[in-house]
Amino acid sequence: MKQLIYILLTVSFLTSCVAVKEYEKVNINDPDMVLSSRKSNKFETSFQVYRESASGANGGKSGGGCGCN
Amino acid sequence: MKKLLIIPFLFFITIIFSQSQPQDSTKAYKKRVLEKTEIDFLSSYYSQDGDNAAVTGGIGTEKLTDLASNIVISIPLNDDDVLSISAEISAYTSASSSNLDPFDSGASGDDDDDDDDRNSSSKAINTTTGSPWVESSGDSKKDTWFNGNVSYSHSSDDRNRIWSANLNFANEYDYTSIGFGGSHTWLFNEKNTEFGISGNVYLDTWSPRYPTEIDSYFEADQNLYRGFFIGIDILDQNGNVADKDDPTIWRPLNTTLIDNKSRNTFSVSLNFSQILNKNTQVSFFLDLIQQDGWLASPLQRVYFSDRDNFYIGNAASIPNYTLPSNRDVFQLADDIERLPDSRFKIPIGMRFNYYINEIFVARTYYRFYTDDWGISSHTAEIEFPIKISDKFTLYPSYRYYTQTAADYFAPYEENLSTQEFYTSDFDLSDFNANQYGFGIKYTDIFTKLHIWKFNLKSAELKYSHYDRSTGLASDIISLGFNYIFE
Repeated sequence: MKQLIYILLTVSFLTSCVAVKEYEKVNINDPDMVLSSRKSNKFETSFQVYRESASGANGGKSGGGCGCN
Repeated sequence: MKKLLIIPFLFFITIIFSQSQPQDSTKAYKKRVLEKTEIDFLSSYYSQDGDNAAVTGGIGTEKLTDLASNIVISIPLNDDDVLSISAEISAYTSASSSNLDPFDSGASGDDDDDDDDRNSSSKAINTTTGSPWVESSGDSKKDTWFNGNVSYSHSSDDRNRIWSANLNFANEYDYTSIGFGGSHTWLFNEKNTEFGISGNVYLDTWSPRYPTEIDSYFEADQNLYRGFFIGIDILDQNGNVADKDDPTIWRPLNTTLIDNKSRNTFSVSLNFSQILNKNTQVSFFLDLIQQDGWLASPLQRVYFSDRDNFYIGNAASIPNYTLPSNRDVFQLADDIERLPDSRFKIPIGMRFNYYINEIFVARTYYRFYTDDWGISSHTAEIEFPIKISDKFTLYPSYRYYTQTAADYFAPYEENLSTQEFYTSDFDLSDFNANQYGFGIKYTDIFTKLHIWKFNLKSAELKYSHYDRSTGLASDIISLGFNYIFE
C-alpha cells in the first residue's frame, strides 16, 4: 500500500510538469541553479569520500582512482 | 531495497512516456556548445586531527594536512565538440600514515621527563621506540597523488543528445589507477527533461606497504633475532622482556599478506533531471557500483582482544598506551585489516533547486546509500546562495551525514582473531557528522579583469569546518578561478 502511494505521488508529481519555454528559463539558467555539485566543492567531495563510507549519486566519481573507499 | 529501486525506475519510464516531444525550436540555430577556451584553477588546503588512526589500529593521532591543486582546460574543437584536460596534484603529510613505521620517530623520549621515567623504571628500556600519538619522520609521512583526466564530448545538432568519453590515470606511492568511461545524455520535452546513463571502469593496483613490524618479520624469515629485530627487546603487557624463543611470543596472526593486488571498480550511473516550473528543477541519481579485489588497506593495523599484547619501547608507558601522554611505546600489530574481496554499493541521490527571487536560491541535496558490508547512510545538504550585488554572491551551507558501521568494524582491541574479516578503521564505524561552510564568489560576465590573454570570469573562496562524532575534526579552504582564454 505504501509503495502504491509513493508511485501515485510520483506519477502525479511528474504529470503536473509543464514544459517551460526557452525564453522562460532565465531563472532556471542561473548559474546557481545548476543540478550538480559546484566546481569549488571538488576537494570537499574528495575528503568526504575518504572520511565517509558513502560515495556516488552526486553526478561525480563513485569510487576508484585512490586508496579510499 | 527493491522498492527503492522500483520507484526511480518507474520515475524514469513515466516521465519519458508522459511527455510529448514537440519539434525543437533550436534546430534552425546552432549555438556553439562552448564559445571559447575556459580554464579553471582550483586549490585547497585541508587539515584534520582526531584520535582514532586506522594505521595504528583505531587509536592514535589522525593529524593530516593536504595541499591540492587542480587545473581544467576546456577547449571547443568546433561547434559541437569539446575536449577537456584535467590535471590534479595533491601533496599530503600525515601523522597516521607516517606511523606505518613508527620506530624512527624523533620524538621517542628525548626530553627530561621521559628520561626520568626510564631511570625510575626497573623494566626493559629500548632505544627503539615509537607511539601511535607521535608523528614518525619516516618516508610514509608524506606523499603526492597525481591525477590526469581527458574527456571528449560531442553534442548533436539539435543539442538534444550528448555523448562523452573519458580516460583517467592516477598514481600515488602505493596505488596506481587506470580508468575509462562514457556517457550518453538525452534531452527532450523542449529541454525540460534530461536523462543520462554513464558507465565507468577503474582498474587499480596496489603497490602494498605494510606495518613495519609485520613487513620486517617476513623479511627476517619469521626470525625475531634477525633483521629489524636484532637487539630489540619485545615487551609483554607487564613490561617484562619476552623470551624470543617462547612459542607464545608475538607473531602476526596470518602468514600471508596481499595475494591479489588489484582493486577494480565498475559503475553504472543513471540520472534524470526535470524542470518543474520557471523557478524549480529537480534531479535524481542512481549508481550501481561493484568493486572487487583487495578492498582492505594493507597499511592498517588490527589488534585482537583474544591475543596477548606485545610492545617495543619504554615499558613504563605501557599502562598509558591509549592516552596521548604515551610518547615512547608502540604495540606490535596482530594483523593488517582484512575485508571481503567484493563490495556492492547503491547510492541514490536527489537534488532540488529553487530560485526564490533575484537574491536568494535554495540548493538542496539528499542521498541514501547502502552496501553489502552492512553500511547504510543518509546525507542531507543545503546551500543558500545570496546575491548581494551584481558581482558578489555569498554561499552559506550546511551538510549532515550519518552512517551505520560495517559488519566487520570494531574499535581498538575489540576484534577477535576468530573472525574472518576485521577492521578498526573509524571511517567504517557508526558516526554522524556536521559540516558548516561559507563561501564568496566574484563574477564578472564581461571579464574586464585580465592577465595577458586570461580574462577572469569568476573567482571563489570557500571555507568549511567538519565535525565527526568520533572526535575527528577538519577544516578545508578552497580558492578557485575561472578564466576565458582569448
